[in-house]
Amino acid sequence: MANEVALTVNGLKTYIYTNNRCNRALDGVSFEIRQGKTLCIVGESGCGKSVTADSIMQLLPTLSRIEDGEITYHGPDGPVRIDQLPRDGAKMRAIRGKEIAMIFQDPMTALNPVYSIGFQIKEMLKYHTGLGRSDRHSKAIDLLRSMGIPLPEKRVNEYPHLYSGGMRQRAMIAIAMSCNPRILIADEPTTALDVTIQAQIFELMDTLKRDHGTAIMLITHDMGVVAELADDVAVMYMGNIVEAGPVGKVLRNPVHPYTRALLESIPVLGRGKDQEIKAIPGQTPDPYNRPKGCQFADRCAYRIGACDQMPDETQVAPDHRVTCWRYEEFAADAAE
Amino acid sequence: MLTYIARRLLTLIPMVIVISFLIYLGLELTPGDAVSHMVPPDARSMMDEERLQALRESLGLGKPFIVRYWIWITGVMQGEFGYSLAGGVPISKIFLDRLPATLELSFAALLISTVLGSILGTISALTRGSLTDQSLTVVGMLGVSIPEFFFGLVAILVFALNLNWFPVGGRILPGYDSFWDRLPHLVMPAMVLSIMMTAGVMRYARSSMLDALSRDFIRTARSKGMPEWRVNILHGFRVALTPVIVLIGFRLPVLIGGSVIIEQVFQWPGIGKEFVSAVRSQDYPLVMMVALFSVLAVLIASLIVDLLTAIIDPRVRLGE
Repeated sequence: MANEVALTVNGLKTYIYTNNRCNRALDGVSFEIRQGKTLCIVGESGCGKSVTADSIMQLLPTLSRIEDGEITYHGPDGPVRIDQLPRDGAKMRAIRGKEIAMIFQDPMTALNPVYSIGFQIKEMLKYHTGLGRSDRHSKAIDLLRSMGIPLPEKRVNEYPHLYSGGMRQRAMIAIAMSCNPRILIADEPTTALDVTIQAQIFELMDTLKRDHGTAIMLITHDMGVVAELADDVAVMYMGNIVEAGPVGKVLRNPVHPYTRALLESIPVLGRGKDQEIKAIPGQTPDPYNRPKGCQFADRCAYRIGACDQMPDETQVAPDHRVTCWRYEEFAADAAE
Repeated sequence: MLTYIARRLLTLIPMVIVISFLIYLGLELTPGDAVSHMVPPDARSMMDEERLQALRESLGLGKPFIVRYWIWITGVMQGEFGYSLAGGVPISKIFLDRLPATLELSFAALLISTVLGSILGTISALTRGSLTDQSLTVVGMLGVSIPEFFFGLVAILVFALNLNWFPVGGRILPGYDSFWDRLPHLVMPAMVLSIMMTAGVMRYARSSMLDALSRDFIRTARSKGMPEWRVNILHGFRVALTPVIVLIGFRLPVLIGGSVIIEQVFQWPGIGKEFVSAVRSQDYPLVMMVALFSVLAVLIASLIVDLLTAIIDPRVRLGE
């Protein structure tokens, strides 16, 4: 089971259209999520992390489309091509929530304020399981208890505004986990929470991964979180995965200048106030007016002439791939 | 909850006193008085000033303004509503005769505008940008900008006189007083009275619904695999409903004001029609009672709106 693939994304291109302009938000993204493992997708704001999640869930805004590529869900009944299902068809709805569940960035706004937490859990059970009314209620209480919510018998009937931020995110996870999904997509689940609460939420997710074998796709921009939780990492920049591989290899031997720059921009605890933090120069390019060739070239310290053309993806190792012309030099550097 | 209601009802008293005083003052400032309307001009020319004065005294009009107001308000507090100056009919009897008709009309219009307005607004929001949405927008703009009496006259011309679908006016024909006999009479005035409110509710429901649908929890509901109708209605509409109800509460005076005009247009035997003739003849006691009743109706309606929003939206807690 350990290496069983739960979801494959292959050459995914999702474009967003506004005012007759086209943002190639995802421009050929490939990765796979393995059962019982955590894949972290890292990158700056606007790099396409959330669009990736929305493409998998088919929750894209109206004016955007999956133009090309495949999303294959390897469910219990064989592979399903998610990108070919109608967005709001019965099949897609049966996968959403039951097979692939999602939690969101801000638990303050992701829960409906006019329904009790219990209602919002039970709604899920009602549509995806055959449980009767009273079973659904006790299951909702069990779920809240297993998420570490005190007094779940009482809390189940309370409304979201009576929950604290961390508890709301726990409730959100309870909703997401209610049907035992095979994949859990977490879109920056702790950005809106305190750091102490953040640790608790991640611990909870880690427990779920171990106990249920859930595959987790965690979207974050926090390299610390990646080091802590990830089994695999995919680094995204402007709609492409620039480097991907097992967490040990990518963090220890980064072979893409962007990954290196990201790692160098993190302050390290204990080095004091005077430590040198290297910010990445420049800004992300305008998505409607992209540079030709490598998207990172303009900000890259290692730019060469060849960067005017987009490099192909290369395997550094069987499980470690990179999109850079000069990766060999970085690999040699890392090997030293 | 109960203490909240009790407190709200108690705050009504000073409000009613202040508002009724202002109305009384307004009436006082208008030229002429009840006597100048009671006595026909030709009879008046034959009466000398002393007899006119005696008539004023007998009606209590001789006393200073403040004293008259005091007499009136203490009377009302004791349940003494007084008599109409025109004809001497007890005001309680006028209310008993006329109020049911007005309530029937306003309630029908309220029901139509709430239901129709919310449904059309929701459809408009869900089909945003489509032909349906755009035509509803145009119809809505027409509805809020064209005065009701105009609609009333057009409706009489088209549906009563030309098509002969509904009676021209009135409420009951002698001998036919069951609900089903009365219904055709009610249709046109209620529809016309509700137009402006329906259009307002529709526009408001549309924007409120669009706002609700853009919220994060809608995405959550979709990510849970809920069917579209449930996402839109249970999660979207339910949240959009609260501001719509508040709006309806605030717009109630429009309905009451409108019913005065519509009752004239359709010869509907309600309080509104009575009110117009009472103002014309400066029939103080009657005008004051009708005004008082309208004020109370609006204030109590706003209390009901508050209670409703508390039931619909769990974040609203009353009384604390």
